[in-house]
Amino acid sequence: MSAERLAPFVLIAPAVLVIVLFRLWPLLLGVNFSFTGDGDRNGAAVGLDNYTELFADPLFLGALRNVGWLVLLLPVAVAIPGMLATFIYLRVPGHRLYRSVYFFPAVLSPVIVGSIFNLLLSFDGPLNSVLDVVGIEPVDWLGDSKVALFTVVGVHVWATFGMALVVFLSGFATLDPALLDAARSDGAALPQVIRHVIIPGLSRTIQFVFVTTMIGMLTSMFGLIYVMTSGGPGGSTYLPEYYIWIQQGQMNRPAFASAASTVLFLVMLVVGLAQVSFLRRTGKED
Amino acid sequence: MPGARTSRWLIAVPMALLALATVYPLVFTANAAMKTRRDYILDRFALADTLRWDNISTAWTTAGTARYFFNSVLVVAGAVALLLLFGSMAGFALSHLRFRGSRALLLGCLAALFVPFQVIMVPLVRTMADTGLVDTYPGLILAYTAQFLPFTIYLMTSYYSAIPAEIVDAARIDGNTPYGVYRRIMLPIGRPALLSVGVLNALFCWNDVLIALLMMPSAEHRTLMVGVTSLRGQYTADIPTFASGVLIAAVPVLAVYLFFQRRIADAVTAGSTKG
Repeated sequence: MSAERLAPFVLIAPAVLVIVLFRLWPLLLGVNFSFTGDGDRNGAAVGLDNYTELFADPLFLGALRNVGWLVLLLPVAVAIPGMLATFIYLRVPGHRLYRSVYFFPAVLSPVIVGSIFNLLLSFDGPLNSVLDVVGIEPVDWLGDSKVALFTVVGVHVWATFGMALVVFLSGFATLDPALLDAARSDGAALPQVIRHVIIPGLSRTIQFVFVTTMIGMLTSMFGLIYVMTSGGPGGSTYLPEYYIWIQQGQMNRPAFASAASTVLFLVMLVVGLAQVSFLRRTGKED
Repeated sequence: MPGARTSRWLIAVPMALLALATVYPLVFTANAAMKTRRDYILDRFALADTLRWDNISTAWTTAGTARYFFNSVLVVAGAVALLLLFGSMAGFALSHLRFRGSRALLLGCLAALFVPFQVIMVPLVRTMADTGLVDTYPGLILAYTAQFLPFTIYLMTSYYSAIPAEIVDAARIDGNTPYGVYRRIMLPIGRPALLSVGVLNALFCWNDVLIALLMMPSAEHRTLMVGVTSLRGQYTADIPTFASGVLIAAVPVLAVYLFFQRRIADAVTAGSTKG
């Protein structure tokens, strides 16, 4: 019978091996690694040197500031698909079509999305020529350091709002239609219905979308930045993940990059936990 | 609600415009790919007068997209095969076989789900380099498998959990070993979930650029997405050829989307309704 007892372990062994070897082990290794030196000091223990250097680097601080901007923009990135899902749920004319059309950019690679928007948003590109016709001054979407980050975030939202939309719609499917009918027969207007029926009813879905949208913003904008701005102009569109990649791939400073990775991990942990507790609290008040 | 009809149409108009804005960028790119360089410079918006495939074939052959395409297909196929095999085996064990430590394993798997790739990428590449896996197909396949396996196990475990234990018990009484149950019962029953998860993983791997950039430094091993980023530098003045490369990379995804739309959306939302 020992072969029987062994079976679950045999079945699970390949998965465990892959995950431990290529996901959990590197995590430990990386934290360790961040306390060692690069180049001449390769492997030597350097204490917190990497971290002090990191927090003195204006590029990294800029990347963290940009994370702050992303956190501030997060409610917008959640509200847009939330509103659209509400309208689709309320059967706006053409709602069947919208669901699949809106979701479609979500399956495209950031490389493809970024490449396309590079064409559309270049200074002498199509969008500016359309604006010119309407009489609006051309905007240097990707070349102006005050605008570029918001352009990239905008493109990211364009590419991913369909994902959150679909999640919202699956949340709506669990909503009790009787509640909605009751609110309507009481003569509630749409904003009231949203505030008193839809938001409380979907608190769990909203929480899920908040967390996943934040994770998406912090970890899946590399492709867009790489293709659209390369962190520029003047380092204004750096995000921690792009910074890590530059230090690892271009500067050949893996230990230093590991320190940045560890900071990113902590930032994500803090942001994630803060969000969950904030949303829990607001959820209770309703 | 008084005036509900008009207000619904008031909402419908911006929504239709948004739908247009969702689709138009790709239409613009496809249109640009069909133009000559001269036509593109003269008028970017006008529809191409004919379907002209020269740019596509330039991108495919001269620019080397064919090679990148082949690399991507190979790596995606390998990674999806491993993901489905390992994911379904683990999902079956975690949902239907009782063994010491199974809960801890499931929790560990969920924890791995929340470790973003950026956090582990530096040491991962080092581990891969130490084992000679950098710049090899198996190396990239393993990197993708490791990246998307926690998610795959999570979905397969929750799918298999919904299958009644009686089915497994009956198969055991018929004399099947656990491996027999996996092969004769779980694999066939799991087909819908395997298809959804497989399609989604294929999209993830096909669309990735960061992992491929790190794992495949040499030019002949570039995946299609990395190849497209390198096209930009090569064809700055030749937008139609560049647009053709982008189109070649997008068309397989579009085809998959049109066929499997529902499955993709279902797999994406599977995580949101639980927990």
